[in-house]
Amino acid sequence: MDWLELELKRALAPRDPPPGFADRILGRKPGFHARRWMAAAAAVIVIASAGYGYRWRQGLEAKRQVMLAVRIVALKTSHIQAQVKELTR
Amino acid sequence: MKPIRALILAPAFVAALAAQQFQIDLSALAAKASDTVDVSLNGATLRFAAKFLDGDDPEEAGVKKLVAGLEGIYIKGYKFKGRGAWSDADLDRIRTQLKPPDWSRIVGVKSTEDGETNEVYLRTGPKGITGVAIIAAEPSELTVVNIVGPVDLDSLATLTGHFGIPKVRIPHK
Repeated sequence: MDWLELELKRALAPRDPPPGFADRILGRKPGFHARRWMAAAAAVIVIASAGYGYRWRQGLEAKRQVMLAVRIVALKTSHIQAQVKELTR
Repeated sequence: MKPIRALILAPAFVAALAAQQFQIDLSALAAKASDTVDVSLNGATLRFAAKFLDGDDPEEAGVKKLVAGLEGIYIKGYKFKGRGAWSDADLDRIRTQLKPPDWSRIVGVKSTEDGETNEVYLRTGPKGITGVAIIAAEPSELTVVNIVGPVDLDSLATLTGHFGIPKVRIPHK
């Protein structure tokens, strides 16, 4: 066994972690980058939800307008049909 | 209005007029009206609204079928407190635009007793009906409708059975 092999064996030998290592890892708070990504993701979700909500309201308003328009057309058509019927009786 | 804003708005105004098949110029009556209805729906809005119509609901399904393929619905309606707010000249401004060969009047009912005038015009092209115009004038009410696009008259007729409007049965000769 040459000196390089001995050095590697010593360097890679299993070692116990220092006391409290696991607790420190588990209790670590998210770092600056993680917080920034989480904020960006939250912003994207909020913006997308607001956009979807706005689009939804626009759709309902368009539907309301279409129903109003068709109701007026139906009412007028019905009235004219009734008049024609009356005259052709 | 500043010139730059006018320049920006002008194409939109021209586009809106182009979408309509005739100009419903009744702005003078708006000031006299107690109630006004102004509906201006282009093809894109109709298609967008159709996505929100429930195909399982008979009424909404009927509307969805009617508006499919339409390029616009434009309505101007005025209700007045008293009689005689509109004149024949107001109707003539509309009628002069609904002339052959593009337009043909299919219904014209005038009741001097009730003071009513109702007219229906069809616009036809090589592929069939491309538009409908309705003038419905009562003593204290005036409504002008322009439906742009291939109107399915059967769908239009079936609408009278919905919206709480009693179905009118016209005897076929």
